[in-house]
Amino acid sequence: MADQQKPPTQTKQIGRYKVEVIREKCISAASCVAIAPKVFDLDEEDIARVISQDGEDDDTKLLAAQSCPTMAIIVTDTETGEQVWPR
Amino acid sequence: MTRPQQLTAKLSDKTVLNEKFTQFSFELAQPHRLEFSAGQYISLALPNEKGERRSYSICSSPENDHGFEILLDITPMGKATQYLNNLKFGEEIQFLAPLGLFTISPELEKKQQPLIFVATGSGIAPYRSMLADQLQQKRNGAKIILYWGLRYVQELFWEEEFEEMETAFPNFQFHPTISQPVPEWTLCRGRVTNCLSVHQQPTDADYFLCGSSAMIDDVIKLLHEKNVPKEKIHRELFY
Repeated sequence: MADQQKPPTQTKQIGRYKVEVIREKCISAASCVAIAPKVFDLDEEDIARVISQDGEDDDTKLLAAQSCPTMAIIVTDTETGEQVWPR
Repeated sequence: MTRPQQLTAKLSDKTVLNEKFTQFSFELAQPHRLEFSAGQYISLALPNEKGERRSYSICSSPENDHGFEILLDITPMGKATQYLNNLKFGEEIQFLAPLGLFTISPELEKKQQPLIFVATGSGIAPYRSMLADQLQQKRNGAKIILYWGLRYVQELFWEEEFEEMETAFPNFQFHPTISQPVPEWTLCRGRVTNCLSVHQQPTDADYFLCGSSAMIDDVIKLLHEKNVPKEKIHRELFY
């Protein structure tokens, strides 16, 4: 049997939303981590940070941002460039 | 960390505690049960297309897993206050829960070390849940002290509940602190930091701070001066 060449490994992007944390606004409430633990975690100062843009679907990422009490998370649609949250 | 779920609940009761504070009670509709730790909060969805939400600490005991209570300072009369105030009994809300890390960990409970709770205003909410849980449910015998700062005596509520706990549980102390008291007020005066610094605090205590950022900054400064380690200071900012 001839060797079959493996396809190159690809990172699957789940959605088109990009999230960003404004450090100065984060109060360590950690709602984002609870809702989207594959996208956010807390750093050594207990401030939220993005660990992956691809860990959760767009709805989950948006919900994580909307649940932040201080609106410290910005969500941008990478296809249109539009800021989806906060609006 | 428990992943929060989307829930709906129906307004079952509304208690106007005084001119400033109102307590709202909800009965879960779907799902019918909510497990949470004392000190956690909900994220309430406002009924608009914008996706706006507001966060409220649960002020009821985790023992009640078929409903919950929240406390609101209604004086700002923002969108969420108006929404909740206008809810009719039986009307549904949508929310996410449980959320938050402002809890007493099982490790800390096991240590049986003193716990000092410091609040201003509606920052008292998570402590009502924690006290019910620690004293009434878990029978935690460690010393627990509650400092609660308000501006006026008229703003006090739940004080009878806390006083009854003091009577029932000798390890619990309650110190309401009034910054603009009437002359007859015989208890703590000024800011909670004044009361905290005057009283001899137990060593090895863990401090929980919930309320305004000014109070939290002041208390953290005081605790640093007293060489309280950073890991023994837990905080929840109310905004």
